[in-house]
Amino acid sequence: MNTNLKISNVTKIYPGCIANDDVSLEFNSGKIYALLGENGAGKSTLVKILSGVVIPDEGKIYLNKNILKLNSPSDAKKNDIGMVFQHFNLFETLSVFENLIIDSDEQRESLREKIDTIMKKYNFSVDLDVPVLNLSAGQKQKVEIIRCLIRSPKVLIMDEPTSVLTEQETSELFLSLKKFSEEGILIIYITHKLKEVMQLCDEVAVMRRGKLVSVSQIDNENIESLANKMVGQDLKTIKKKKENTSSEQLIKITNLNFTSEDPFETNLVDINFSLNRGECLGVAGISGNGQSELFQVLSGEIISNKNSIEFNKNFIGDLNPQERREYLMAFSPEDRLEQAAIPQMAIFENVALNNFKSSNFFNNGLINESKIKEHSKKIISEFNVNTDNIDLKSQFLSGGNLQKLIIGRELITSPDLLICFNPTWGLDVGAINYIHETLIKINEQNKSIILISTDTDELLKLSDKISVIHRGRLSKIMNAEDVTSEKLGILMGGGN
Amino acid sequence: MIVDINFVGLIVASIMASAVPLILASCGELITERSGVLNLGVEGMMIIGAISGFALMTVTGSLIIAVFGAMLAGVLISTIFAFLTQTLITNHVATGLALTIFGIGISAMIGKNFVGIPGKEFPVLFEGLKDTIPLLSPILFGHSIVFYFAFALPFITSYFLKKTKIGLIVRAVGDSPEAASNQGINVRFVRYACILYGGAMCGLAGAYLSMIYTPQWIENMTGGRGWIALALVVFSTWNPIKILIGAIIFGGLTIIQFHMQAIGVRIPVQFLTALPYIVTIIVLVVISRDSRKIRLSTPSSLGKSFHKDN
Repeated sequence: MNTNLKISNVTKIYPGCIANDDVSLEFNSGKIYALLGENGAGKSTLVKILSGVVIPDEGKIYLNKNILKLNSPSDAKKNDIGMVFQHFNLFETLSVFENLIIDSDEQRESLREKIDTIMKKYNFSVDLDVPVLNLSAGQKQKVEIIRCLIRSPKVLIMDEPTSVLTEQETSELFLSLKKFSEEGILIIYITHKLKEVMQLCDEVAVMRRGKLVSVSQIDNENIESLANKMVGQDLKTIKKKKENTSSEQLIKITNLNFTSEDPFETNLVDINFSLNRGECLGVAGISGNGQSELFQVLSGEIISNKNSIEFNKNFIGDLNPQERREYLMAFSPEDRLEQAAIPQMAIFENVALNNFKSSNFFNNGLINESKIKEHSKKIISEFNVNTDNIDLKSQFLSGGNLQKLIIGRELITSPDLLICFNPTWGLDVGAINYIHETLIKINEQNKSIILISTDTDELLKLSDKISVIHRGRLSKIMNAEDVTSEKLGILMGGGN
Repeated sequence: MIVDINFVGLIVASIMASAVPLILASCGELITERSGVLNLGVEGMMIIGAISGFALMTVTGSLIIAVFGAMLAGVLISTIFAFLTQTLITNHVATGLALTIFGIGISAMIGKNFVGIPGKEFPVLFEGLKDTIPLLSPILFGHSIVFYFAFALPFITSYFLKKTKIGLIVRAVGDSPEAASNQGINVRFVRYACILYGGAMCGLAGAYLSMIYTPQWIENMTGGRGWIALALVVFSTWNPIKILIGAIIFGGLTIIQFHMQAIGVRIPVQFLTALPYIVTIIVLVVISRDSRKIRLSTPSSLGKSFHKDN
């Protein structure tokens, strides 16, 4: 049976932004549709409307010519629309089976049989009786997919499903999705990754700033044409010039270990590496493999053995972040609004947080506001932060502007080493480009970078050396030229 | 010294009786907290239950009306809390503290007319069996129905949370209200229900104090038991069976230290009075020292407001 899903003139307005502006789209089963757009383009809002999580201000949705009333997620479920959320929508402390039975009306035994059948059919293997927090991201996603399949959906919506997966897991997912599509499930695939669209989908709809920009057959498109539609302007591609870097060692990590008591954290085991001036070391890995712990150990949020970190011929393993800054280290944490900046504080106050003894931001315990403000203005103009109001609370900056502010705050003191963790996470292409250019510039000034990132393309673009972190262990350091994304994928999944 | 074996039985029975209000209030609060709501108003809800039960008993003369009236009073006062925290999205901690202060104040006001009035005798079950088995008889027989209910409650609660669909939904809401809401579960409804249930159990705990344990009204007669109940929930790591253990240890030490004071043991009274608090916490911390299990049984969203945005 064919499924036809039609979105007609949907509009959703949030205070200060139009998330969906008069969007109309039509989907038919048997094909895989891509919904492509940058962050904030409105694609997530659109699929949330389809899954009943968000109610549109205007517009109608039809399934097989019948108008759909989607006032809650259960309405979507009743109408056989299944959704796999970008941020997993699972109960971490409940077992897999409990997660699955919670929205099912079936008896335990019959549900178990049904799940077993589904797992056999699609070659999934997930232990049903362990708590979800023990699963890898790929397995969690399978649980979400099984949850949808139990209800034999007509429509399956996948919201950025590969952001947490390895290359191998991604190709497995694509195989499953193709199988679902052959079986007549209508698949809507939301992403901002162009490669995946080309690989998987039959038709692509591009969204930009809440509006539908184009709908086209994939055969008529290529990566460049899609990128330009997505961003709305021609993108310049930046490349790193490979020059001879110096051979002067800047930082050396020797037998660094970290054992956590929190079962949610990853232990670090025998971390060893060294980095020369002017080099960028990329650390790849699937999130949750110890990146966050590695960042904290390097930044001094977690203090370790004094001799385990040698920086500029000083042993600094037992110093806190403030003290490490005095040795000219700088940090850009992953979570911009939780770790890097304080959302409720003004821009200039956030700048002052990163104070150096030499900066004279404070006199005898009093805040030297004019000095800080002057310094902040310098950062804003030098690093292209798109605001002129330094009294603005930092929570009102867009992700890209906030990241520029943070990187600017760190770099204006011209540190020898910048350690950054997913610096372009969730940013739009323009801001990503700017950050990448900035990072390349730092290397050209003979300063070093440790770039911990889950974005393989970013790592291949910026790094001189690459290593992969898996379950708290670092692989051997490889030269970036010798590495392919396939090879990284294998290492990220724990292979050799 | 020859110890009368039935005397030991009586001491054990009195220990268990003193644990009853703690078990009731803790098990109620446990359900509330498992849904992600931190209600610090336990003490206030208990004292409201205590005065309501006692007042209704005196006015109507009916014990049944009094017991159910006390539970209803607990439900009503917790409805205020539910409305504030779930509908108006106020802060759980501040609202709960206000609830306790409110409860203590209003109970004292209502209670003015009931000071000094003697209570009624509450019927006990299985009284005829009281002399049949030495040692065990005074422990097992001759108690009120609330007593038996209280000792069954931890097991019922445990079964409810682990084995029933509704229990699963309560745990799911406490784990991640966002995910639950996306699954089509009405988070606000579940949390309202859990708060109201917690109120009913605290009301019953209060009624037990003023109608059965010490049948009279004294201002502020809960005497901090609500806070102990709250502490039991946390230190038991949200496990009803450990609540039972904790309540018995606390009740036991409270009774035993009275006897020790009476015998004249040469330990400072202040230390003896503090003993139940210290030992209960130490024991519960020791038996719950498995960080994995703590992680699995702690409601992740505890005390956080959930607001569904559309």
